[in-house]
Amino acid sequence: MKEAGDLESNLDRFVLFVGGKGGVGKTTIASSLALRFADSGFRTLLVSTDPAHSTSDVLEFQLGAEAAQVSENFWALEIDPEHEAELYISGVKERIAESTAPRLLAEVERQVDIARVSPGAEEAALFERFTRIIESAGASYDRVVFDTAPTGQTLRLLSLPELMATWIGGLIGQRKRVNTLGRMWRNVAGAAAGDSGADNDPVLKALEERRERFLRARVTLTDAAKTSFAFVLTPERLPIWETEKAVASLIKYGIPVGGVFVNRVLPPEARGEFLERRRDREREYLARAERSFDRLAICHVPLMESDVVGVKALRSLYLRIFERR
Amino acid sequence: MRRRLRAARDIYEGVYIAPYRSAIHREHLRQRDLFLIMGFSDLLGVPNPVAFYTLELYPELIEQFHEWHMRMGMPNAPDGGFKCC
Repeated sequence: MKEAGDLESNLDRFVLFVGGKGGVGKTTIASSLALRFADSGFRTLLVSTDPAHSTSDVLEFQLGAEAAQVSENFWALEIDPEHEAELYISGVKERIAESTAPRLLAEVERQVDIARVSPGAEEAALFERFTRIIESAGASYDRVVFDTAPTGQTLRLLSLPELMATWIGGLIGQRKRVNTLGRMWRNVAGAAAGDSGADNDPVLKALEERRERFLRARVTLTDAAKTSFAFVLTPERLPIWETEKAVASLIKYGIPVGGVFVNRVLPPEARGEFLERRRDREREYLARAERSFDRLAICHVPLMESDVVGVKALRSLYLRIFERR
Repeated sequence: MRRRLRAARDIYEGVYIAPYRSAIHREHLRQRDLFLIMGFSDLLGVPNPVAFYTLELYPELIEQFHEWHMRMGMPNAPDGGFKCC
């Protein structure tokens, strides 16, 4: 088993994704790690996507959609996936309203509304927001910590730039076309080669901006020197299994995993016959985790006697994690 | 004599060149139709992130769907597709 020290250096990146299923303590650990960056002097942004808004509870600070300062060097914001999807959709409608033929407008809006509720829409809108955050974070922050990690499903979005180019090219085509309102599509190859074509068309411009932003996001997310992924799990069957799958899918995309936190491990001071029995079971799960993640840095996080709430408690937590050897 | 040469040339072009040209044209159209089929994955409920990130192109997609069903000899928009007409 690798020491927490390896984990510590593995996670020290500009972007840190902390993944794990609900209820394993991901929000708490992500907040604690972010606080540690802040305490070390890094201007840190914590991005929470928790639908239960528990990050506000953990920080004892009401988070909003804009970054707010929680303590020294420590800012946080909360993203609501539903709201992001709404914003995205209304942006689309605005951009196409002007140039869509009136006879098509009703059907176009209907289809866009269907897309809003299609499976994967919120995840896609969220990923789009992540790319914007990462892009603009460089100017104001040294560290960005997300309390979620893109899954393998989301990471197929990394091949988006090429898929988008094909799709857009297929729909617009090589021909120049004048539609009923006189908007001229430029040759896509020409636009990509630096034509001023995109400048005349807000739709093409938005699509190119998005594609290029995804390209830049891909560079950052697949750069092990810039981005790290960590997973939180508890020593239980389902969390171990889910983490195995999550790690495997990242590795499949060539994305290195910084390490895993096994949370809520019974500490020595938890005694008694009942707890000894629990500890026996736990030992088996811990051994299973060692085997599954034998190439990764693993860190055990003890079960604390009370809920980790508030900045002081978060600080104690990271001291327990990293300062004990 | 000239007329006959011209006729011969027209026949040559009609027999050998023109069908080839329209095969290329058909292939081009078929490739575009593939994109329409991809678009259908949305209608089938399969998440298609590319389509989600290119929603601004729905007007184009619907226009092409319309041209496609006309080309396939369907005077009205087929059920389950876009309501383009």
